[in-house]
Amino acid sequence: MRNMRLMWIAWPAFLMAGVMEILVFSMLDPSDLTWFGQPLAVSRQGIYTLAFFMFWGITMASSALTTLLSISPFEVNRCPLPARERPDGCPKQESSCC
Amino acid sequence: MTQKVIPIVTQPLDEVMVSLYEAQKKIYPRSVSGFFSKWRWGMIWLTQIVFYGLPWLEWGQRQAVLFDLASRRFYLFGLVLYPQDLIYLTGILVISALSLFLFTAVAGRLWCGFSCPQTVYTEIFLWIERKIEGDRAARMRLDSLPLTSEKALKKGLKHLVWIALALWTGLTLVGYFTPIRELLLSFEQASLGPWESFWVFFYGFATYGNAGFMREQVCKYMCPYARFQSAMFDHDTLIVTYDNARGEPRGGRARAADPKSIGLGACVDCTLCVQVCPTGIDIRDGLQYECIGCGACADVCDTVMDKMGYMRGLVKFSTQNAISQKWTQHQIIKRVLRPRVLVYTTILLVLCIGLALSLEMRSPFMVDVIRDRGVMSRVVDGDKLENLYRMQIMNTTEKLQHYRISASGLNGLEIESDGDESNGLVTIGAAQSQWVTIHLQIPQESAEPGSHPIQFVVQALDSPDHVSERAIFLVPR
Repeated sequence: MRNMRLMWIAWPAFLMAGVMEILVFSMLDPSDLTWFGQPLAVSRQGIYTLAFFMFWGITMASSALTTLLSISPFEVNRCPLPARERPDGCPKQESSCC
Repeated sequence: MTQKVIPIVTQPLDEVMVSLYEAQKKIYPRSVSGFFSKWRWGMIWLTQIVFYGLPWLEWGQRQAVLFDLASRRFYLFGLVLYPQDLIYLTGILVISALSLFLFTAVAGRLWCGFSCPQTVYTEIFLWIERKIEGDRAARMRLDSLPLTSEKALKKGLKHLVWIALALWTGLTLVGYFTPIRELLLSFEQASLGPWESFWVFFYGFATYGNAGFMREQVCKYMCPYARFQSAMFDHDTLIVTYDNARGEPRGGRARAADPKSIGLGACVDCTLCVQVCPTGIDIRDGLQYECIGCGACADVCDTVMDKMGYMRGLVKFSTQNAISQKWTQHQIIKRVLRPRVLVYTTILLVLCIGLALSLEMRSPFMVDVIRDRGVMSRVVDGDKLENLYRMQIMNTTEKLQHYRISASGLNGLEIESDGDESNGLVTIGAAQSQWVTIHLQIPQESAEPGSHPIQFVVQALDSPDHVSERAIFLVPR
């Protein structure tokens, strides 16, 4: 389940980061960018690459929040019951716990 | 002869849910040959000759297809596109999506089974695996053996070939964005730039991982299209189907036996259809979302039917309506022209024509005008009012071009250019763009205070094309 969730976070974010990359850099020339008033000392390819990973990071954060909110709070938080006393169907039962 | 009874065991629901997400058992697809397999390999050759070959094609003095990110120009054969031409990319994406809808409505997951890169690279990687480790049974045996030097050699060789192919794929992809001949040269001399190397390895790693390891998992869990494809399906969509009425009850029998007399259907339950399936499903369970429509099961079942002397097509591409109403091939083909297909086709055609027309009518140069941010309006030479503009002219041809800039909309409007660009004449090199500062002047007090709409016209001197751009001329109070 953990792998599935990681995939749900990383993969759609990757696709959307690609879309962001195309949209942003079709309108913006990386060589026009400045960093606190100084021109960036990175080639265009460098800025494309760094920006892509920045976009990916942000979109992953969004996916991660969506994933977090879609998990029930009982699954996220610590459970006060010892494992064997948890009822049937509890997501924190040892057998199916993530 | 008693019928073979398959016991039905109920499983608690939550256990089933959990198993959906469990690490899947490794699938060892068995090799298959036949009609659909030939088509698939044909498509693999076609798509890969295009993908690996296109960057090597020359057009005049340059690479024919080059998305030159470093200089922000896209070259597509005779076409030079600027980032401003994003609309064409959008158009191509919309057309691709609609084509996918159309194919899906007519013939199900044709794309998935025959030309999706995931399928194509998995098939190529599987072919390498088969050549080195052997077919399904040999691979399963090899995996169950403890590590011996022979196993290590086979596995090592396989991964080496995989990695080489993956790296070549990565290099080819980057070759669409950086001239591939220079790229290869610097790759050989180990002087590849840091960003290029990064993307070669990144894409190479993705290919290696997706085609070597993740395979059907990508289709099952990562592909958005696989999830909503059934929205485009109807009862007349071609899908891989198992003829339940003909096949059941399934069961093993001697080749000479008459299935009717022993109460059996045509399915000999050889499970070959399951063994060849790249996603490891049993097509006899009906249409499943994991089915990528590759037809491997249809191919292998036909060979079995031939051996048994039965009619082919126990597993075949057919439609739900055709199976339930026993339609002939002709009736199936007639149903292709149904409203859904016609609507998709019409929209697709309109878009294709629109894109082609707009590319055909595209001006060989583009112009952007912005007012100079520093100067609103000023008096020069004592009696003239001047506004400053910055104009970008983008030459989308591959020849040196001369342009004349003129302005109209106000009485006595004159262009005073500085430097080389006398009388509004500009020269721009092949596929270059240039910013020009334009001093626009009118005699003082020849216009009311306020803003006046004016128009710039850029006339190409080597062709009859011209481009007009609107702007504002400010007269202060």
